[in-house]
Amino acid sequence: MKEIEWYFPQRLDELPALLMKRGVIPHGGGTGILMTRMRSTAGLIDLGSLPLHFFRRKNGRVEIGATLTFAELAKQFTPDHIVSRALRRSASTPLRNRITVGGSIAFFPSWSDLMGPLIALDTEVTLIGGEHDSHNGDQKSNPVRVRKGRWGGVPSLTVPLVQYLRESNMRKQTLITSISFTEEQWDSYYYRHTYTHFDYPAFTLTVLLNKGAGRIHDLRCVVVGCRGKYERLTQVEEALRGSQLKDVSSLELPRLLFTGKKRTSPEYLAHCARVELGRGIDQLLGE
Amino acid sequence: MKGEFVVNGKRVRCTFSTDVTLLDLLRSEGFTEVKEGCREGQCGCCVVLLEGKLVNSCQVFAASAMGKEITTVKGLGNLHSPHPLQTAFVEAGAVQCGFCTPGMILAAYALLKENPDPNDEEIIQALDGNLCRCTGYVKIIQAVKRGARRMRS
Amino acid sequence: MKDMHQVGKSPDKIDSLALATGDEKFTDDFTLDDLLFAVLLYSPHAHAQIDGIDCTEALKVPGVVDILTHENVPRVLHSTAGQGYPEPSPYDALLFDKRVRFVGDRVALVAAESESAAREALGKIKVEYRLLEPLFHMEEAMKEGSPRIHADDEHVKIPAIYEPERNLCAEVNITLGDLDRGFNEADFIEEHTYRTQAVSHCAIELHTVKSCFDVRGRLVIISSTQVPFHARRIVSRVLGIPLWMIRVIKPRIGGGFGGKQEVFLEPLAALVTWRHKRPCRIVLTRKEVFISSRTRHAMRIRLKTGVRVDGSISALEMDGLLNSGAYGTHALTVLSNVGAKVLPLFNKIENLRFHGRSVYTNLPVGGAFRGYGASQGYFAFNQQIDMIARRTGQDVREYIKKWHIKEGETSAVFKALGEGKEGVSQTIRSCRLGECIDRGADAIGWKEKRGKRLKTGIDSVRGVGMAVAMQGSGIPKIDMASAYMKMNEDGSFNLFVGATDIGTGSDTILAQIAAEVLQVPVESIIVLSSDTDLTPFDTGAYASSTTYISGAAVKKCALELRKQIFRTAARMLDRDIEQLSLECGKVVDTRNGKALSFEEIAYHATYFEDQFQIQGHASHTSTQSPPPFIAQFAEVELDLRTGRVAVVKFVSAVDCGQPINPKLVEGQVEGSVLQGLGYALTEDYAFDSNGKMLNPRFWDYKIFTAADTPEMITIIVDSHEDSGPFGAKSVGEIAINGPAPAVANAIFDAAGIRLYELPMTPERVWKKLEESSEG
Repeated sequence: MKEIEWYFPQRLDELPALLMKRGVIPHGGGTGILMTRMRSTAGLIDLGSLPLHFFRRKNGRVEIGATLTFAELAKQFTPDHIVSRALRRSASTPLRNRITVGGSIAFFPSWSDLMGPLIALDTEVTLIGGEHDSHNGDQKSNPVRVRKGRWGGVPSLTVPLVQYLRESNMRKQTLITSISFTEEQWDSYYYRHTYTHFDYPAFTLTVLLNKGAGRIHDLRCVVVGCRGKYERLTQVEEALRGSQLKDVSSLELPRLLFTGKKRTSPEYLAHCARVELGRGIDQLLGE
Repeated sequence: MKGEFVVNGKRVRCTFSTDVTLLDLLRSEGFTEVKEGCREGQCGCCVVLLEGKLVNSCQVFAASAMGKEITTVKGLGNLHSPHPLQTAFVEAGAVQCGFCTPGMILAAYALLKENPDPNDEEIIQALDGNLCRCTGYVKIIQAVKRGARRMRS
Repeated sequence: MKDMHQVGKSPDKIDSLALATGDEKFTDDFTLDDLLFAVLLYSPHAHAQIDGIDCTEALKVPGVVDILTHENVPRVLHSTAGQGYPEPSPYDALLFDKRVRFVGDRVALVAAESESAAREALGKIKVEYRLLEPLFHMEEAMKEGSPRIHADDEHVKIPAIYEPERNLCAEVNITLGDLDRGFNEADFIEEHTYRTQAVSHCAIELHTVKSCFDVRGRLVIISSTQVPFHARRIVSRVLGIPLWMIRVIKPRIGGGFGGKQEVFLEPLAALVTWRHKRPCRIVLTRKEVFISSRTRHAMRIRLKTGVRVDGSISALEMDGLLNSGAYGTHALTVLSNVGAKVLPLFNKIENLRFHGRSVYTNLPVGGAFRGYGASQGYFAFNQQIDMIARRTGQDVREYIKKWHIKEGETSAVFKALGEGKEGVSQTIRSCRLGECIDRGADAIGWKEKRGKRLKTGIDSVRGVGMAVAMQGSGIPKIDMASAYMKMNEDGSFNLFVGATDIGTGSDTILAQIAAEVLQVPVESIIVLSSDTDLTPFDTGAYASSTTYISGAAVKKCALELRKQIFRTAARMLDRDIEQLSLECGKVVDTRNGKALSFEEIAYHATYFEDQFQIQGHASHTSTQSPPPFIAQFAEVELDLRTGRVAVVKFVSAVDCGQPINPKLVEGQVEGSVLQGLGYALTEDYAFDSNGKMLNPRFWDYKIFTAADTPEMITIIVDSHEDSGPFGAKSVGEIAINGPAPAVANAIFDAAGIRLYELPMTPERVWKKLEESSEG
């Protein structure tokens, strides 16, 4: 069939040169490459021997190595944590043992169960490789959140996940080494729109709520799978943030836009998204 | 390329192409108990344990599994000394055409290693990547429970 | 009913341990040296003429050995239907044709040293297509000016209505009584149109064929087939190879459900082997199975019932339109079955018309699929019954119990509608449908739930619905099975049957039947099945025939052996046969209690005196097809805001006559129910505007996993069919007929909306909810 050049780097400092090779991409064991990229792939970098397989809690933040699988990551949190909620039903048992955090972010399919929670948690992504100068660009985005550093002796960049998703040059010839987010107390709700249990969602909803003393302190709302691939529902967040719980009855939910998928019309998807978002918020407020 | 694998405890040395899946490699090396049903990672009849973790072998490059331990259903038991899960499947009537059975048994085995006393919900979750068109799953769930009891005692 | 030792018990399926240990071999597990890998090229167009095929570049690919196209294969019209000869399906197929008739129709085959070389060559075959106007909508098929799909080609007619110039590949028309008078007598009319979709069998094992020569120079075909004997005959006819030179072996098969009751790959593999004197392997990919094998026929059924106020049906008219797809395999017989398996159930309808047509379209090909037309028909019929009962203020259970066919009764439809041929009249000798209804209703909690619209949340409501069905047990006067047995000197037996175990456990139940006759443990019956050299004929695993027909042949055969055992024992004991009795593997002299073991008798017959091999054979056909009956109940939970339907509980109560192996009966029911629920709720073929299937993968053709299974209860009611082996009928298909209508009736019970189209997706349910709330 097709000859692929395999690379088995033992140290991170081997990566930048490998990443610059044409048609060569990192492979942590996930299924994305097998699904889509076979034709243009000239080589694969097997990440198995690199120090990217870890989970650390440090200074109130969680740090997750890129080759941690969905199954492993879900187990690190209690069942009511949004990451566990989202990932433990994702795909299927054997697939959860292969899909990696880093691969899933780099591939970011519209049916991802990982991205909604990560976006809602204001996750940061650490990268190595790529063209350094280009990362300095886009000073319009929050420049203080772009941090330079070193990772295993290799220059690295830490950026908000949403910035990584926005800027395509950040995804060229780079490798995600880890992600991190602050560990906070949230009530969480997760919804996947599927037709059978083992199914890839047409869309997902992530809602995080922090309430106390009769008020909503903070709210995060993300939909993934809509037009534009994902949307942070800032108008809902702003409408509710700071409100008294008792004042929340008549919340105007946004009209989300979808393209038709899996033989389901955009109208039906939009309808379900509104219904389930309303249900999710009601459920969290009621708890 | 050339590589070595440890399958059911035995070293297997082979020459294979760089893009071949673990499924195709195993079958061409004679491990025909690992079945092909879809090549999409959807049906689960190709599952093996890769370093003890249940994976779809059709979604794994053989190259990335080199040097690793692989367990197929034959690594659990055989005709002359079957694994309690294998006999449980037989006794519960959970085997009709049997094509999904090796995969189901491995999925059950992977579950019971971590959770020796699962409830129905946990069993269903553990088998959520294994399709069966013959049984309606009813007797398969019963078989896993029966096998779990045997393994605990 | 006398106490039985083997029948009615559930010994382990004889191949189940080896399946669980991975030792049993399926077709692709056999290693053959020097194998050629064959892959197929399919048409990307729904309707086109092939003006040229250029294989020059493809043949240059290293490792390519041959490329087959219409230019270099025998041109023999045939049907791929796995049916008895003469097949009641039009001979409208060729190995490769100059015309392609659906996206996925075959164009060429490449045989090479490796699969990758073969696939590389596929990409280099240059085909010049001249596009023709395609026809996708079956309702347009017979209109003036519609594209003709088979009219320009030769075809071999079967003695049935076949008008390819109008795209008509089958038609059935029966009328009983006086329809006009019947409708005039009605107090009201219920007339509705129902639509069902094409679905895929989704047997987990892909279609696989391997062919090779044996040391005698005979062609051996190992195939994942439900019909080894039909495969042998069709390969012989199509390739012009004498039948005696062909051996077909069916090893373990990973499911069929009708999808492997078709002979469309064996001739190709055999041809490659024949020409190149090397083994050949063909394995379809899952995508190819979806698109290029067979589907269930999609249908439109118009059902018009004239009803009196007491609920009696004064007239019934069923009009069926069946989408045959690009070829007519099974098109006549599935169509006939829609009426033949449904209409006799309510046998008191005096004025009745069944009119059906099967038409060609440029879509994937419909074929045999568990239920075989009854599933489509019962989707319509059971909803109509539900409506009639409600409208006449009756509990649908009582309504059905009043009007269904009973023991001692017949239906004129049996004679009027056969499967292709004229039907066969029969009287029902066993029918426990009433008890099925009562026990099933109890198990689902009918009284507590029906009509109550119990709410389980602000937006969720529950309902219960039911459906009934009958099927058949083999095809009367057509299906034939035979068995051969011999006795070994230790008292064990070899049983050779043509009957085809496709995962159903037929090897096991046939052993149980033989063991029951001979009063020996099941383990002492060694079964060998489905090898056209070693086993006698059997039509194959379809039409729910194995227990009733093959089982009867086995029983007869075992009785023949019993006779010989008794004769030998009589000689040994110097008694008359009447003075002897059989008891647990021994023949006992009733006068003095002296017993001879089977081992002693067999040694005597084999070695000592008037030596002969204790052996026997028997064949069986039947003049009737006693129907099994089933009552099925669904409890659903409906999300009123999103239309989501969850099946919470499903009950099946079945009368299959005497169950030979109750655990295997349950297994058939449970599997059928889940397959039927997929048909009801999620499975569908989606096409783009060019006729290309959009979802030929498990990724987006969803079938259920264990997580989707409702609580399932299976009840086997006590029943006994005198004409069946030890009272058995059949159970392989019937349970797939109830889920779709039971769920539809349950949705109505929950929310007052009716779905007339399958599958009943959440979006469709939601749309109905929206419409009903606006109206």
